[in-house]
Amino acid sequence: MIELVLRTDYVSTDEAKGPRRAAEICLQCGVCCVVKHSCHAQYGLQFTPNHTYVYDCLGAEEPAENPNLWLCVSCHKCEEVCPYEVSPIRFIEAMKAEAFRNGSVHQVILDEVNQIVTTGYAFPLTSASERQRANLGLSPLGSQAAAELAVIARRSGLADKRGEEKP
Amino acid sequence: MRFAFFKGCFIPVRFPHIELVASKVLGDLGVELQPIEGFSCCPEPVGFLTDRFTGLTISARNIALAEEEGRDIITLCNGCTYSLRQANLRLKKNPELREKVNEVLAETGHEFKGSIEVKHFAQVLKEDIGIEKIEALVRKPLSGVRVACHTGCHILSPPEAMGFDDPLDPVVLERMVSALGAEPVDYELKTLCCGWTLTNFGDKESANRLVGTKLNLMHGAAADCMTVICPQCFYQFDTGQMLAARELKLDYKLPVLFYLQLLALAMGYNVDEIQLSMHRVKDRTLEEKLRRLTA
Repeated sequence: MIELVLRTDYVSTDEAKGPRRAAEICLQCGVCCVVKHSCHAQYGLQFTPNHTYVYDCLGAEEPAENPNLWLCVSCHKCEEVCPYEVSPIRFIEAMKAEAFRNGSVHQVILDEVNQIVTTGYAFPLTSASERQRANLGLSPLGSQAAAELAVIARRSGLADKRGEEKP
Repeated sequence: MRFAFFKGCFIPVRFPHIELVASKVLGDLGVELQPIEGFSCCPEPVGFLTDRFTGLTISARNIALAEEEGRDIITLCNGCTYSLRQANLRLKKNPELREKVNEVLAETGHEFKGSIEVKHFAQVLKEDIGIEKIEALVRKPLSGVRVACHTGCHILSPPEAMGFDDPLDPVVLERMVSALGAEPVDYELKTLCCGWTLTNFGDKESANRLVGTKLNLMHGAAADCMTVICPQCFYQFDTGQMLAARELKLDYKLPVLFYLQLLALAMGYNVDEIQLSMHRVKDRTLEEKLRRLTA
């Protein structure tokens, strides 16, 4: 009989795997996507009851490069209905962060992140918006936060990840 | 009661008429909205998953600005509430993380202390004002108006952070609609998301299919209109309805009203004052009914 020298308990193994544990323990029962009020991404035409949205994310060979990751809105429904506490959302969110690090992030997301840290708004401020606000008697919008957000981006390391030059 | 007014991005940039109605009607209810000039995007909950620490620090900066004024935050958006409440909770619970965030914030002159709360306007209506009091303030009951309620996702989950309603069987918005004298309708797929990310990152056909499915169920339940409490949901069902209707050949129109617009009508404002003309989906029958009720 072979005696294993190194033993690792389940808890430690799970901790080491982090969010990737979800991909390993998922039973592919499909509840997270087939329960009728759960995952909206399941409405994507490429998904079926046999190949659900969540399984598409968990089962991808290179999950951080899967463009379908960005269909998840973080509604947490998969987490709430999963009978096995897989928490696919944690896996998907971790893969989104990995996609940002390895450069496979969706261009729309990248543009939005840049837009927020340079203007303070997730949506472009246009002259039409300002006109509409003025017509309603509302105060104009400014970018008072932009300078401080640039400081945060530099100090948090976001600026480096976006390939910005240090001042 | 006085709150730091967190308008977010989408409402002030794309739907300023909702900001206007919110300012009027919340003021009438005794909610003073203190403008804070330096607020930025919350940041929005999908994009900043890519760099959670930076996202958390931006949220912490927004919360710190309200703390400097000694005010709790009131929001108009599910997404803003989701980002800010989760950041507030995480940083209050985790002193090490708070220290790291404050190290980054130090150069901006702000510090997260953990001294305030963040609330969606619907939470303020439910918890601070009370649905019974709203009912008592109704001057023009919206009798006979059948409303399909769509609460949205980010105000419901995760429930331990959001604390608003049951994520799988929400009832609070329906109670808030009933308080106005209107009739909430029961329909299937009530908790299904509006499909914001399908529209932005998926194919248009799928997004239209989802919006069309929800609208058909609401229409099948004989709703006159629907109500939302989140600008992304508003966009999906107003602008998105126009796109879906074209593609799916929908033969009806289901106007979308932000809950605060319904509240304003019930409190005595007229159809023009709630800026209904700025919505994409218009239905003459509903408009006439609302004009009659608020005359």
